[in-house]
Amino acid sequence: MTDRYSDYPVATLKEYGYRDYSKLKPVTRILKQVLSFVIFFGLYLSIIIIAIQSLNSSSVMSSFESISLKWYPNILQEDDLMTAIGATMIVSLIATALATILGTFFAIGLYAMSKKKRQQWMLLNNVPILNADIVTGFSLMLMFILVNTFIKTVFTSLPQAWSIFGLPTLVLAHLFFAIPFVILNVMPKLKETDPNLMDAALDLGVKPLKAIVKVLIPAIKAGVFAGMLLAFTMSIDDFVISFFNTGETFGMSFDNLSVWIYGVIGRRDLSPSVYAFSTLLTIFTLVALIGYELSKNRKGRVKIKK
Amino acid sequence: MNSLYKRLAIPYQVWLVLLVFLPIMAILLIAISNLTTANFNLSDISFQLSHWNDLVENQSLVDGEYFNSYLTAFKNSFIYASITTLVSFIFGYFLAYQIKKSRIKNKFIILTIIILPMWSNLILRSEALRSVMLDNNIFKSIFGFDILPFSVGTPAAVLFGLIFTYMPFMILPVYTALEKIEVNLEEASLDLGLTPFKTFWKVVFPLSFKGVVSGSIMVFLPTFAGFAIPKILSNGNIVLIGNIIETKFTYNIYNVGSMLALLILILILGSILLLTRFDKEGETLL
Repeated sequence: MTDRYSDYPVATLKEYGYRDYSKLKPVTRILKQVLSFVIFFGLYLSIIIIAIQSLNSSSVMSSFESISLKWYPNILQEDDLMTAIGATMIVSLIATALATILGTFFAIGLYAMSKKKRQQWMLLNNVPILNADIVTGFSLMLMFILVNTFIKTVFTSLPQAWSIFGLPTLVLAHLFFAIPFVILNVMPKLKETDPNLMDAALDLGVKPLKAIVKVLIPAIKAGVFAGMLLAFTMSIDDFVISFFNTGETFGMSFDNLSVWIYGVIGRRDLSPSVYAFSTLLTIFTLVALIGYELSKNRKGRVKIKK
Repeated sequence: MNSLYKRLAIPYQVWLVLLVFLPIMAILLIAISNLTTANFNLSDISFQLSHWNDLVENQSLVDGEYFNSYLTAFKNSFIYASITTLVSFIFGYFLAYQIKKSRIKNKFIILTIIILPMWSNLILRSEALRSVMLDNNIFKSIFGFDILPFSVGTPAAVLFGLIFTYMPFMILPVYTALEKIEVNLEEASLDLGLTPFKTFWKVVFPLSFKGVVSGSIMVFLPTFAGFAIPKILSNGNIVLIGNIIETKFTYNIYNVGSMLALLILILILGSILLLTRFDKEGETLL
């Protein structure tokens, strides 16, 4: 019986449309690795140059003399740099703290809405994120000028030099783009929480506000933390919006690091200490992020063991 | 959830409406006025549209040729932003896909390391890139050769800076979208006889498209309207629309600045509408 079938030709894999690419695999793998490395290098080139320059004993960017660490302690001697760092920290810390607290509560409020309404407000929430920085910065500046003029016409006793430009405008402008980032981070966590949790708390007689603090916020704290980190990095790194809304408050210039560096490179006298500071910050960020990630993993492992 | 909590959003609704619409009203108002100084009284403002004519008529003479500086700047912005987005998409998608495919356990650390440069100051990074594009640079003095084959002021220099500054904004949403795709789908596709390439093209890529749209917008918009990188890396030779707005701001010619900002805004509203077709609540924006 079986012999009858053996006369028929057996279809090969090729005839099924299968083509053997296994010989190409090592080549494509190497190509992939090379391309990945080139992209990675491109992303890191500027950081590498900054690190090299921070170790250069000469203050000229065009040639490398010898390795020296002198620019690192010199950071403290650069008054303008220290002022800029101080201004950046003050603005970013205030803006981040406010954005985290307000953003969390706002997100809870938006979450309590019906789905359709929430989507409409989330669309508006994304406007500051998606809007070009230059439009946000320029339009906020114009609005602040109008507000400033208005305040001055109402309170005529204010001194001529007084202006809202400086700390108030910077904090408001940073809040404007930081709050949406907090909300975007908190919202998915809210969706993950069990809605019965809050109902149970409220049914058991916990006051609504206390229920948020004791029940909801612990459940979404990972999102709040991620939102805070993102808001902080966005705020510290912001250039365009701060560029248009900076000014002096209490006689102190609130130009943040980016705005200050932009002004200085226009004059071509950037101290290598700025590079040293940036390198320190990069190393710190890297160590903090990896440390955070590793500690998170260890915690997870312990849980499984139990 | 208690409907009482809806009230928590009321201050934010007020804030959003005020801070989204008032500034837009302000640029609208000033774009059609005669305002050209920083210290102005509201009583001094009067209606003026003559600067809108410059959009079509403003001719400057450069190298013996007449050209419209605003339109040229818009065209430049569009070309540079498109090329940057396209190249970031190709490279960024490739890298995100490689990370997803890699056998490394802790992918988050790899992702963090890749986007780490994003945390360092943008202006300083551009200045560092500028310095290695000069004839005498620190890299050449150590290693004896030029790392980047183009010099400051060329389009390639500006494009290099833009692409590698904004690529992380492409990598992140694409990776997020890729991570959400279930492995089962790929396995099913392979089991049913599709080649790995077809599986990628017919299954993985369409499912990650949401991330690509988000990433493209996140790269296109800051490139289109930014002014620091083109200015630093081209020594001011290549003028994008952001550079013109910056100049108008520096010389207090606010009405022209507002007019240009308004035009950018219209473009952005278009992109936001496009994004909402793919991603209703902006989940891939992070």
